[in-house]
Amino acid sequence: MLKLENISKQYHSKVVLENINLEIESGEIVSLLGQSGSGKTTLLNIILGLTKMDNGRILFNDQDLTNVKMKDRGFNIVFQDYALFPHLTAYENIIYGLKNKRGSVSEAELQEYIDFLELKPHLQKKIGELSGGQKQRVALARTLVMKPKILLLDEPLSALDGVIKESIKERIKSIAKEFQLTTIIVTHDPEEALTLSDKILIIDQGNISQFGTPQEIIHHPKNEFVKEFILKQLQIKRQNIFQLFGEQYA
Amino acid sequence: MLNVRPEMKVIYTSILIVFLLFLLLPMGTLLLRSFETAEGYSLTNYYNVLSNSELLTAFVNSIKISGLTAIITTILAFMIAYALNCTNIYRPLKSVIKMGILIPMLLPTITYGFAIMYSFGNQGLITQLLGKPLFDIYGFNGLLMGYVIYTLPAAFLLINNSFMYIDKKFIIVSKLMMDGSMRSFLNTIIRPMLGALGGAFVLSFILSFTDYGIPASIGGTYSVVATQLYQVMLGSIPNFNHGAVIAVLMLVPALFGVVLLNYLERFNFHYDKFSQIEMVENKIRDIILGFISIIVLMGMLSIFLVMFIAPFLTSFPYDLTVTMQHFINVFTSNDLTAVYKNSLIVAFFTTVVGIILAYSSAILNTRTGLKGRVAFDVVSMITNTLPGMVLGLSYLLLFNGSSLKGTFTIIIVCNIVHYFTTPYLMAKNSLSKMNPSWETTGGLLGDSWFKTVYRVIIPNSASTVIEMFSYYFINSMVTISGIIFLVSAQTSLVSSKIKELQHFAKFNEIFVLSLLIFFTNLIVKLICDYLQKKQSVKNF
Repeated sequence: MLKLENISKQYHSKVVLENINLEIESGEIVSLLGQSGSGKTTLLNIILGLTKMDNGRILFNDQDLTNVKMKDRGFNIVFQDYALFPHLTAYENIIYGLKNKRGSVSEAELQEYIDFLELKPHLQKKIGELSGGQKQRVALARTLVMKPKILLLDEPLSALDGVIKESIKERIKSIAKEFQLTTIIVTHDPEEALTLSDKILIIDQGNISQFGTPQEIIHHPKNEFVKEFILKQLQIKRQNIFQLFGEQYA
Repeated sequence: MLNVRPEMKVIYTSILIVFLLFLLLPMGTLLLRSFETAEGYSLTNYYNVLSNSELLTAFVNSIKISGLTAIITTILAFMIAYALNCTNIYRPLKSVIKMGILIPMLLPTITYGFAIMYSFGNQGLITQLLGKPLFDIYGFNGLLMGYVIYTLPAAFLLINNSFMYIDKKFIIVSKLMMDGSMRSFLNTIIRPMLGALGGAFVLSFILSFTDYGIPASIGGTYSVVATQLYQVMLGSIPNFNHGAVIAVLMLVPALFGVVLLNYLERFNFHYDKFSQIEMVENKIRDIILGFISIIVLMGMLSIFLVMFIAPFLTSFPYDLTVTMQHFINVFTSNDLTAVYKNSLIVAFFTTVVGIILAYSSAILNTRTGLKGRVAFDVVSMITNTLPGMVLGLSYLLLFNGSSLKGTFTIIIVCNIVHYFTTPYLMAKNSLSKMNPSWETTGGLLGDSWFKTVYRVIIPNSASTVIEMFSYYFINSMVTISGIIFLVSAQTSLVSSKIKELQHFAKFNEIFVLSLLIFFTNLIVKLICDYLQKKQSVKNF
């Protein structure tokens, strides 16, 4: 279980995060949802250990990680643009970290990850030859073989188009399930957050606006911001789709 | 791409004629003269030059010292760029380092030599402070020091620029993948920087190999190619044909360097995109790198310090009473004020005409469908390769008998061609990023092509034009290699006057003139930076 207590952060007297309290159960997928500048990426970087917080504590399975360095926390991240090494092949990227952690993953396990992400046909390709979805899967594989205790994903779908988006979404869900992996996702897209995660943390101007399951958020929006920012967008989308297909498909 | 219009063809042809007359023809003449002997054309000159042990020593010396300079400069420039880009050093300190490192660019290289003499010579400022001379400065040591100071800003700019385009997220990824510091450093910094580091090495090598100012002032008995070339051309027994051979031989490493640079280009990483990210905290790294940067900067600036002190004293270091006499002397001497005026005139016309030429070339190259527009890329590659001394010498050979000899025009043209590459690439870079349909849009709204260029294209690249201005102006104020063969008694410039004053040991006047160049350039640079900043604020 990951527990955040009273986390605050300021950048040059501008408050970015204020008193964030949060508990995430093991194996849960949680989305951090907010507009740009809301503080969601900062929160992700604080959990990762990249950004220092001003106040508060981070606990993982009752162990205090507040002053533990990024490298020693055992969490890992896939960045929005994947940050794959362009001079290495897909395979070399995947096993990049294994060279530092010999024996942590057996050959069979490695193959399992590769098969699971359907990367076999692409292993010898250079990064430049891969499509967006393939890059995303290589980046996931590279991170997963490090066996992170928590998987962090920064806008994992924003660079992908339509159909690929849906398939990666399913993939992320099955990863969390298959490996019982706590997954935290940053996104600005309500539809993405609500269809992908077990729980959603809506952040507005550095404060928690609402934290709950998709159902809770849809049926019991806590405030005007959630109604305006989250629900309205989804209602418009629903409207458009109804108009396309006709009401009977509702 | 826009349809070709007659007015484009006219501009295209005019520019090509300029380069034909002032680049290809002089180069051809140079090559021809290098083969010319009393008995017709042969390799005799080459044979003579290469069997002359004195010249051969100069070549070996030049290669040795330029190579060593390049190694030292690349390492220093890299460390400073690393400190600026990959640490959490206090921001204002970073800005100071970044600006300070560029200061030598505002001075002619010939001044460096005198500053080193007055700092590290037997009676020098730093020698006095330390109590004893550190090393013999005339010859190898002084040259090395001068070359490093000269090449450091250029190498730094190149490396620093590449650093900005490196995705620092990889440093985080590498940390999370449990890399040790060495593997992390090699994979996320050195590997993506390989091209730039090689580039900085080659650039530093070529710059020191072809510079004339530093060996002219502090070379002592250590002979290098540049001083040999000057000797052969303007010494007691001039031999133009041998001079041409040396110039051609000087061109060889430069040619080789440019080929190497293009090859190294392949090693550059092209990240899809990159975003800003926080640097991992590491106090020890920050302190060490901050310390190194400050030491390098202070070391460099301390050498120039004497330049700001000596001219205010009666006779440094013997009579230390403060006086304005040297300044009064310079400003009341018609000779010296005329020289300063000459420099301003040359810099002004070089800049204005140079910008028009480079900007027009870039527009035709990037925003029209003209056949043969690649010609400008070829020209810019040639001018990039040409050392100033070689270009100046080829002008001397070609225009010696013509009415252009001894005029400002020939100096201005030489500067424009010599420094063409960078402003051209600046303009090209900015013009190619603009929306390609603006001319069509302008046309549909009733503009002529000229009108769209004037109303849309130029205003949207104002910031680049200002940058071009600053580059052309400052370089034509400080160049000596390019113009040393072209100045006459009437068209003498500050940098060449300094060389003359050296013969009469008038070092105070040398420093006063250097300060004049320095402050003129500083003012131009500050104004340009300010205007550029204002532009970018306006646009975003």
